[in-house]
Amino acid sequence: MDFPILSLLILIPLIGALITLMMGGTRQKMAKIVAGAFSAITLLLAILVVFSSNDFGALSESYTWIKTGFITISFSLAVDGLSVLMVFLTALLVLLVVIFSAEAEEVEGERPNYFHTLLLAMEVGLMGVYTASDYFLFYVMWEVTLIPMYFMISWYGGPRRHYAAIKFFIYTHVASLVMLIGIFAMGFKAAEITGGNIDFSFDAIAAAMQGANEGFQALVFALLFFGFAVKMPAVPFHTWLPDAHTEAPTGGSVLLAGVMLKMGSYGIIRICLEALPAGAQYWQWVIIIIGLVSIVYGAYACIAQKDLKKMVAFSSISHMGMVMLGIGCLSYAGITFAVFQMFAHGLITGILFMVCGMTGHKVGTREIPLLGGLAGKMPKYATFMMFGFMASLGLPGLIGFWGEFPIIYAFYEFIVANDMIWLLLFCMLSLMLTAGYYLWAMQRTLFGPETTKIDLTHAHDVSKSEFAAMAVLCVLVAFFGMWPDAALQFIEPYTQGLAAFIGVI
Amino acid sequence: MLLDYNAIFGDFSAIVPMLFLMAASLILPGVHLVGKRRTATWGFALAMVVVSMAFNAMMLYDGFVGTSLGMVTYNAYSGLMILLFQIVLFLAVLVSNASVETTRFNVGAYYALICAAATGMMFVAESSDLLMIFVGVELTSISSYALVSMKRNDARSAEAAVKYVIIGGMSTALTLYGISMLYGLAGTTNIAAIAETTRIGGVTFLFGVAMVSMIAGYGFKIAAVPFHMWAPDVYEGAATPVSLFLATGSKKMGLSVFFQIFLILFVSGTACAAIAGPEVQYLFAIIAAVTMTVGNIVAIAQSNIKRMLAYSSIAQAGYILIVMAVMSEYALSAGLFHMFTHVFMKGGAFLVVGALICAGVGEKISDYRGLGKRAPLMAAAMMLFLFSLAGIPPLAGFTSKFFLFSSTLGVGAAGDLAVNSQWVWLAFIAILNSAISLYYYARVVKAMYVDRGEAVEKIKVPKAFTFAIVICIVAVIVLGVYPQLLFDLCETAAHTLLL
Repeated sequence: MDFPILSLLILIPLIGALITLMMGGTRQKMAKIVAGAFSAITLLLAILVVFSSNDFGALSESYTWIKTGFITISFSLAVDGLSVLMVFLTALLVLLVVIFSAEAEEVEGERPNYFHTLLLAMEVGLMGVYTASDYFLFYVMWEVTLIPMYFMISWYGGPRRHYAAIKFFIYTHVASLVMLIGIFAMGFKAAEITGGNIDFSFDAIAAAMQGANEGFQALVFALLFFGFAVKMPAVPFHTWLPDAHTEAPTGGSVLLAGVMLKMGSYGIIRICLEALPAGAQYWQWVIIIIGLVSIVYGAYACIAQKDLKKMVAFSSISHMGMVMLGIGCLSYAGITFAVFQMFAHGLITGILFMVCGMTGHKVGTREIPLLGGLAGKMPKYATFMMFGFMASLGLPGLIGFWGEFPIIYAFYEFIVANDMIWLLLFCMLSLMLTAGYYLWAMQRTLFGPETTKIDLTHAHDVSKSEFAAMAVLCVLVAFFGMWPDAALQFIEPYTQGLAAFIGVI
Repeated sequence: MLLDYNAIFGDFSAIVPMLFLMAASLILPGVHLVGKRRTATWGFALAMVVVSMAFNAMMLYDGFVGTSLGMVTYNAYSGLMILLFQIVLFLAVLVSNASVETTRFNVGAYYALICAAATGMMFVAESSDLLMIFVGVELTSISSYALVSMKRNDARSAEAAVKYVIIGGMSTALTLYGISMLYGLAGTTNIAAIAETTRIGGVTFLFGVAMVSMIAGYGFKIAAVPFHMWAPDVYEGAATPVSLFLATGSKKMGLSVFFQIFLILFVSGTACAAIAGPEVQYLFAIIAAVTMTVGNIVAIAQSNIKRMLAYSSIAQAGYILIVMAVMSEYALSAGLFHMFTHVFMKGGAFLVVGALICAGVGEKISDYRGLGKRAPLMAAAMMLFLFSLAGIPPLAGFTSKFFLFSSTLGVGAAGDLAVNSQWVWLAFIAILNSAISLYYYARVVKAMYVDRGEAVEKIKVPKAFTFAIVICIVAVIVLGVYPQLLFDLCETAAHTLLL
């Protein structure tokens, strides 16, 4: 295809961001429409990419960017079975956030149009991360997502936003810098092996890394893995996430949990597994243990949370732990459903954070002990919340089920092979905890007698734009829950190739 | 060839860029005495700088190589360094007339001195002889002492100047001591000849003493820790255009001296690398690590933005000293590139500070509260420069740090690269420092964009400042996105120096 569709995926949000930036803070309505239009065009392009998936090989672009005596860096983009769903998810969520926030008060403050600028700027970075196939470009895009998020939290966030924003910024920046050292090491090693200059393209490095010994691979794997694990975030590197989520505006949280966390797991698969398979096998148990700990700790911490949004944030840690566990199995089934879980969690968490955001600005507080009996007053809101919680705890028939249970199955296969069947107890424990905290939270907020601790006279139900945004997500959650193959058909060819390459089926 | 330089300038062809500045510094006091108009004097100085830049650009483009007076050589390396000094000089002179801090200056003397200081830097870049380097450095130093003290009736300026003179004198003495010992040992002051003699004669204890006293002497110039104490006081006390000139220009001269002396001695073909190379490399690695760490950590505690920038400048010198530890051609190209990006981002930051001083905004970080609303362009520019200094992509600071830090992990010439784990620890320290620096840069950004200030009225800054700042913004973005524009030149220069 000669049409540079992948570059446009990055370029169109960039233009949109610049236009909304130019609007100077006064024309709020226009900014909304412009942002909506640009994100809609991006979504259309993303859908086009999805439907041209038959020839992913042809869907790549590469332009020489920097070529000096020592280094070759290219602006190369590609989409395959791993990234196509993430590209779609990014485009979808950005548009839905624009729609969802159309009437939100928290972004109606002093700088409404910058909210849309930041959203679109974030989309630039995210699209770049998911389509890049050059380490330099990947890293640039990885960092580009940081700054809009920093401003989104510190401009539109809650009361402790400054602390949360700077913590988020520094924490993830340090992690990515460690990752950068790993990238340098790979570059030089590749140059040493091929006898040429440093070529930072994914293909060149992955090919050269086959010649690197296990010790080198394990070392570099550790550096890169650290960068990605902080982003995911995996316990014990997770402490930035609850703060960032609690303080971020709803739209920011949706993107943060929906697609930004996936950058971490995407990086692990795309870079750590593809380029350093021996390193992955070396650290396999560490990955599995980190995954297990994240799952159980995240779920356990959820029970203790009083803030509804913080609870959902911890549940994200738990669910991303599930992705980590799937990757750690290093098996065909494990990786396939880890990717599927990334997609599933992106859709579900969108609903969850939208619901939490609405709780905050419609009822006035997100403190669970203060809430109660909201179902009577706000039936639509209650329906969405129940739907989101059920999907997240893995109710069969919804997408969450297909994310979690096959991973546990893959893990079961793995531990049977290793004679460690008792580890399954942790999975069971986490399932119980997950069901427990969701049901308990639901019971305390939605049902029972209507709360008297706060004034509910101004509480109103879901507005039209909010309804639209969440309904789209719910339909998709149900659709992929009924027909997971619609997503798996993209993932499977990719993971087949990857599993064959790593050498474990 | 655009011009036949030898035919036009004869024996002086290698010093064409300096000729115009030397002429300028000689006649500028007279011009001011006759014309008595500040703006006219400024215009004349700026014109001379631009002419000098134009000639240098042409010579660089032509790939001119030539020697003048048997002492100084123009080649790809010196041409590039001269370009850097000219950019610094241009930025400093451009805003000098508009700055309120220079209103009490005797501008004839001021422009003469700043041109003389730049001339000294350029001579340093062209020298391959210790004495010539020494003379160039002194020309720059003595002119800068006077430049710093020009803010009369300002106690901080006087303090800064006194400190600068005393410490500068000490560093001069140390350097001269080292040079004299080397001359005693080798019987020559030519650097390549010294390298050759040492290779044959071997390294003696005296050679080591000479090296250490020269590293210490020139360490003062680049404000490497532990020779850095003067820098924050001087940058704070001097007028902002002068601070800009010293922080981005004078420091680069010191680094260039390091490259020209120690890289020649310890890297190139005839050098004594095999004898004392590793020790010197480790010495520099430790200085680099300590310099960047101290600079960044102390910067966190600063409440005055000029002092913060001064400490960040110390840290940046630490990053560039990585070149001296790694001692590879790739590292040198990356270091040169980082020196250029540093001119634009640190120079840009000083320009914003200077512009805001003209508009009546103080130098405290707390004075910058709410600036995002009051002066959108200045605040956006400052944010870009600071993020670039912190190494956030896709800005120039990131790209140059990407090259510079990546050079620590490998060795070898182009086409023959290999992984080398020797300096991984240095890469880790450098990267950790980048993260620390983000903290204090982000604090300024937060003050500008997130905090609410007391004053709300819009700020107008002089046009010259806006113009200079826009140049820096463009450079920071373009060099970040398309580094090839300059990196090729840096590679050629590095290759030329190490040949």
